[in-house]
Amino acid sequence: MSERLIKLKIPIYLTTILGILMIIEFYFPMPEPITNINVTLRSFVTIVSAAGLILGIIILTIAHLRKISKKESGWYYSIIYLVGLVITSALGLTSVRNTTFLWIYNNMTAPIGVALYSLTAFYITSAAYRVFRARNWNAAVLLVCAFIVFMMLIPVGAVIFPPVVPIGEWLRSYPSSAGFRGMIIGVSLGIIGLGVRVYTGRQKEHMGIREERMEAS
Amino acid sequence: MSMIKKLLDLDQRIIYLFLFLLLAFPILHPVILPMAVQDYSRQAFEFADSIPEGSIVLIEGGIAAATYPQCGPGMVANIYHMLTKGVKIVCFSIGAEQQVWTQKAIDTALKKLPPGVPAENGVNWVNLGYIPGGESAVAAFANDIRSVVSKDYFGTPIDEIPLMKDVNDATAFAAVFWWGGSEGSIPYGIRQFYGPFGIPISGSCTTNEVPNYSPYISAGQLKGLFGGVRGSAEYEYLLRLPGPALGQAMATNFGGLYWLTLVILGNIFYFLQRRGES
Amino acid sequence: MMDQMLLGLIVGSAVSIGAYSVLIGDNPISKITENLYMGILGGYILATNWDFINKNAFTRIQGGQYIYVLAIILSLMLFTRLKREWIWVSRYPVALTVGVGLGLAMRATVITDFLGQIKATILPLNSINNLIMLIGTVTTTAYFLFTREYKGTYKYINQTGRLFLLVAFGVAYGQTVSFRYELVIGRLVDMLRPEVAMYTYAFIFIVAIVLAIGYLTKKITWYS
Repeated sequence: MSERLIKLKIPIYLTTILGILMIIEFYFPMPEPITNINVTLRSFVTIVSAAGLILGIIILTIAHLRKISKKESGWYYSIIYLVGLVITSALGLTSVRNTTFLWIYNNMTAPIGVALYSLTAFYITSAAYRVFRARNWNAAVLLVCAFIVFMMLIPVGAVIFPPVVPIGEWLRSYPSSAGFRGMIIGVSLGIIGLGVRVYTGRQKEHMGIREERMEAS
Repeated sequence: MSMIKKLLDLDQRIIYLFLFLLLAFPILHPVILPMAVQDYSRQAFEFADSIPEGSIVLIEGGIAAATYPQCGPGMVANIYHMLTKGVKIVCFSIGAEQQVWTQKAIDTALKKLPPGVPAENGVNWVNLGYIPGGESAVAAFANDIRSVVSKDYFGTPIDEIPLMKDVNDATAFAAVFWWGGSEGSIPYGIRQFYGPFGIPISGSCTTNEVPNYSPYISAGQLKGLFGGVRGSAEYEYLLRLPGPALGQAMATNFGGLYWLTLVILGNIFYFLQRRGES
Repeated sequence: MMDQMLLGLIVGSAVSIGAYSVLIGDNPISKITENLYMGILGGYILATNWDFINKNAFTRIQGGQYIYVLAIILSLMLFTRLKREWIWVSRYPVALTVGVGLGLAMRATVITDFLGQIKATILPLNSINNLIMLIGTVTTTAYFLFTREYKGTYKYINQTGRLFLLVAFGVAYGQTVSFRYELVIGRLVDMLRPEVAMYTYAFIFIVAIVLAIGYLTKKITWYS
């Protein structure tokens, strides 16, 4: 029982206490020691988050090392990953303002990142021709709104058909805004609901409880 | 009808090739056309222009490598605008990549400043660098800057920076400019600066995110928005500051017309095929 | 300095073409580029986050703020996730992050996203636009009530909500297309600068030759 207390119950109670501390500080005046504790806790979160990102890189590296050791399909590409990782991290750990480190980042990572991110432009264009159809009224509404707004955004759109600008701006400012407002309200209710579920201990996925159940079975 | 089917089954690599050529052409041979300023951009510009001299503003630099070509010129224009008005700026980023691009935007803006405009690091501007933790980091920053920042981007201790002498939390700022790129982080600024402290906030995001924030604009929680390369081009235009965004905005014309044509053609062929089948 | 910049643009152009080659089909050049990207980005994230921990934890401890030793301990506890038997130890730093993070999001979302948006929806019904905002917001919010049957009046409320959502998604899609094109243009601007353009064409030619040889010798299989 005490093992369950230490491994499961106490982290859940801790989540609840810390969350409640953050919430009541916002709505009620708190004594200074409590405010100082909250400031320190928020500072701790940033440090633990940084450690979490480092952990993510380590886990990815372990996956690549495993691929190389077992000579799985495409294992030689993992060597390229490791070479990139080792060189960049070695330079960066000496100083994040090392010129070679920043040169590698600006002239290799940045262009590849932009290129990969922009690949969807090509897929979207292909989809516009092959898939984007006004098959029924719902699809027609989506298509017409997308068409008008996109035409408004390209400078030549206003030259070809001037009314597209006020129509597009109206669509964006009123009906679309109303739609997104409903979504924002829904999402905020979801956040509140999620918070209540996590703080009452009903939702434990962030604790990795699924892993425990798998181990038990 | 088989001709229409062949056209509908066109190899997508041909579509990609044409797109590449149509986007490359206006870059090699620029074509400048008149451009109307969008309402959101005008609101954001007027808000920025209304900030009094001597104030301190906070700029969140959320632009990364992928989004710097679109939103970067706008951020450069914003920094230029503030410094030329005699407004001091404090920058920070919630992404590791983004802090580098924030500094790049600052450096580019400094090069464009007319002679005589004060722009000393630590006195007129400061880049506090990267703070991990997403919205938690923003909340911590807003409530007590020194709890999450001990040194600036260049490693100078925060207590040795003259600009930060009386800047301890969000109340020191007259306004917040959130250059969120594609982070989706503008709501963090609204929730942690505008909500609790009432600090007015404006900013920029990539074009695809503009509709997501239109409810905040219509609710008055966000004072206008510069959207993507078009927004950056409009900021440059309103500020009369020549920059790269206008040329890029013009380049979207050809790709845009191509997309519109494909949508129309695709639907025409689809309906013709359906009529043929029935 | 100029030479370094030019070299950087040329290297950037080469790796961009490597990344774009995936449009022809999955091939070794695109895979090399993607893995190189992951490696360099991984090293960058490692270095910058270590720098942050150094600046904000270790430096403070050296300055006498010993409470930050607890932050270091919590960070180290996170690394127990690497060993299955010790995963439970990592629940403590996760409890801190989730508890504080969710609390901060919850407390602010009530004011700005919930009450703020509802307040902005309460508008005088003296114009079509205000009416649209009111009806749109109410019906869209009601659309997300999945525990109610779509019968009677609620069916029409649901359909109206869906219509407003479709308009919103259509507008978002139009904006997204523009954004994606801006990304490509941003990259092409650097690749087609006068001093870099010839190198770009040369790289395209080399990649095309390599892929053609691979395809003809059946060493690379592309989708058809």
